[in-house]
Amino acid sequence: MDAKKERSVSRLREEIAMFEPILEVLKLAPGEMGNLQTFIIEDILDSHKKVIECVEHEKPFLASQFTNPVEILTAMDIPWYFHVAHQFMAGGTGGSPHTIEDLEEMDKMGIPSDCCTLLKLLLYYQAAGLLPIPTAYLALTEPCDGVAGMHSVFMNHPDWRGVPVFAPDPPYHSDERAVDYYAGEMKRMVEFVEKHTGKSLDMGRLKGVVEETNKGYAMWMEYNDLRRSVPTPHSYVMPMSCFYLVNDMGAGDPAKTKWYQDMVANAESRVRENRPEVKNQRIRLFWYDIQPMFFSELVPWLEQEWGAVIAMDMVSYCPYELIDTSTEDTMFKGLAKRAFLHGPMVHQARGLADNVIHDITRIVKDYKIDCVVFPGHMGHKDMAASASIMREVCRDLGVPFLHIGMDVCDKRYTTVEEIKNKMSHFFTAMGLG
Amino acid sequence: MLKGCVTSGAFERLSETASTLVNPEMRRWKEEGGRIVGYFCSAMPAEMITAAGLLPFRVRATGSTGTELSDSYFSSINCSFPRHAFNMALRGEYDFLDGLVIFNSCDHVRRIYDHWIRQIKTPFVQILSLPKKAEDAQVEWFRDELSILRQRMQDHFGIEITDARLREAIALHNRSRRRLKEIYELRKGLRPPVTGAEMLAVTVAGTAMPQGPYSSLLSDLLADLAGKEGRADYRARLMIIGGLLDNPEYVSIIEDQGGLVVADSLCFGSRTFWADVDENTHDPLTALAQYYIADRPSCARMYTEYPKRVEYIRNMIKEFRVDGVIFQRLAFCETWGFEQYSLTNDFKEWNIPLLCMDREYVLGGIGQLKTRVQAFLETLGR
Ligand code: SF4
Ligand code: SF4
Repeated sequence: MDAKKERSVSRLREEIAMFEPILEVLKLAPGEMGNLQTFIIEDILDSHKKVIECVEHEKPFLASQFTNPVEILTAMDIPWYFHVAHQFMAGGTGGSPHTIEDLEEMDKMGIPSDCCTLLKLLLYYQAAGLLPIPTAYLALTEPCDGVAGMHSVFMNHPDWRGVPVFAPDPPYHSDERAVDYYAGEMKRMVEFVEKHTGKSLDMGRLKGVVEETNKGYAMWMEYNDLRRSVPTPHSYVMPMSCFYLVNDMGAGDPAKTKWYQDMVANAESRVRENRPEVKNQRIRLFWYDIQPMFFSELVPWLEQEWGAVIAMDMVSYCPYELIDTSTEDTMFKGLAKRAFLHGPMVHQARGLADNVIHDITRIVKDYKIDCVVFPGHMGHKDMAASASIMREVCRDLGVPFLHIGMDVCDKRYTTVEEIKNKMSHFFTAMGLG
Repeated sequence: MLKGCVTSGAFERLSETASTLVNPEMRRWKEEGGRIVGYFCSAMPAEMITAAGLLPFRVRATGSTGTELSDSYFSSINCSFPRHAFNMALRGEYDFLDGLVIFNSCDHVRRIYDHWIRQIKTPFVQILSLPKKAEDAQVEWFRDELSILRQRMQDHFGIEITDARLREAIALHNRSRRRLKEIYELRKGLRPPVTGAEMLAVTVAGTAMPQGPYSSLLSDLLADLAGKEGRADYRARLMIIGGLLDNPEYVSIIEDQGGLVVADSLCFGSRTFWADVDENTHDPLTALAQYYIADRPSCARMYTEYPKRVEYIRNMIKEFRVDGVIFQRLAFCETWGFEQYSLTNDFKEWNIPLLCMDREYVLGGIGQLKTRVQAFLETLGR
């Protein structure tokens, strides 16, 4: 491989080197949760390896976005990497040695500081040659202005200008007509991938993949139901992995379905035996945003100091439906709905604020929530403009509401200490915990 | 009143229209029983409102002085335009509106819809889904959106918006577009008879008065400008680009430092009229959808169109002999924030001098603005 290609996969290689020894140790003494965790790590590393192999051997692969249906890509047998997740994975999950240096380099690029850091970081990776250049690139124009703007910049980078791009464009409405239109976008996406990778979509294979992901989704729904229990069975790692496991790394794999089954079984036994992963739960909170990259510095503190558990969060709460696989048409419509109506962030941020009202109302009731925390990532301008509506719904429901204001990628914006202080004051003032 | 070079009765009327919220033209319209439909984005086919016999008004927050009421609805990381506009709405300053059409133009403006329907009693409020790319499927989608809007407007206002009326409205708006282009032509010369601030006042006025009188005023203005020569004492010819800018005073301050703004790529400026709507397509709704989604110079929210947008700017730079470009952006606008980054890189490569400035909707920080423009003019060697 030439130096440029080597650099483009260097972070993936680093992450493999970092996690493999951890994996070995975990496998030696997995404990009750270890098997569930090792599976996730293995899955991340496998997908890194697949991408590296494609780069090494010049095989076709894609960069894609978090809601473009993985079922389709899996059925087409085309590897991909999840473009915006790079920051959370190779870029910096759980205290990567690079986080600070990446943010500092990003600052020097001259992108306005008020633009979403998640996207600016991604642009830094691109500019620094740290992203594998794919055969073709699937973008996405929602859930925010920043995403579309970021794609526009991406397409203009000299090394990426020649990469064919297709971005499904989610409509703002959520009715049948919108679903039909977006199903059309999904079909156009397939045509695009076929054209640029030489792969084709076999409907029988797609049906098989969707049927398998349906099983995973059914388990996931069951799992979310179990999270309604008081005390809630698990800490935050497992629930928040639900989404990434099917949407990020691949789909249609019976091993993944098995993972969901194991997780449900574990949660069930914990509920039955009153053996929650987090002891002494006193506050049940709804975390209404994506998780910060530094969540591991926050959640254990919340749990230990305040007995506060995240009973539900934005990423793992999706009003899921299973997909009707009876015809090609129903499958595409189902995939379209999964992609633009149900996925986290596109569900909440795309479309009317009614979605916000609906989510909060349902979750507060269903999950016996004691308080709603809106972290207020600085990129989420539309959500910031909906905060008053969130506050009002919470008032009507009689549940306290906290708007923090943070940058999910950058602790310099609101420090972990400041976040903790805000939360502590809030809990105290509201008589929680 | 702006210190420019135009002495023209037509200009006086246009300028007054731009500098006030409820201008005499609108007042007269209302007094005569006319109804007004507001809209929030230049992607709105104003032709549809004209065809319904209503007055299209692009919502501005001209004259706003604060956000004391809207601060409960928007946050400190929201763009100041919707904050000021919604503040005015809460103060009842848009009570003259009989209807309002909003798009999902950006993350900030689309939330105006959510608050508006809950807080303001405008009898007809619609939100339209505006695509973010410009391919055939998106034109078709938008055509359907317009068709639904037409139906709802007909039902609510009790007016038939026939194809024939739409065609007439398209022709009327196109006439204004052509006049505006003719005025821009005059700015290519060494002594443009109109300043950038004056020109912005002229284009803004067109979004707040009936198209018939507007087009006539443009004809009068053209006649007044014919053969006239304006300032030649400027230090540099500038182009101003970016998103929403409806305040000629801002341009005036730039020009007071010695630069003359001769061209723009703004959504209250040239992007609204550089191309025409096709008058020969058999289906006027398709013609409108095609124009507003694909044919007119796009704004930064059309993410795949960046190469065309830049080409548009580069052509203008050449045609209008521009020495330097000023990019202005309202703080917290991501749509234009990422565009700024691309432009900065590309302009550097092409050796086009570029000054990027953030601003707030209501004019402020004038000292800093002056200093930065002066420094920019110096880097241009003037
Ligand atoms: S984190 Fe939010 S603002 Fe940033 S890209 Fe994602 S959806 Fe957009
Ligand atoms: S300037 Fe940007 S953020 Fe403000 S209203 Fe316009 S598009 Fe929206």
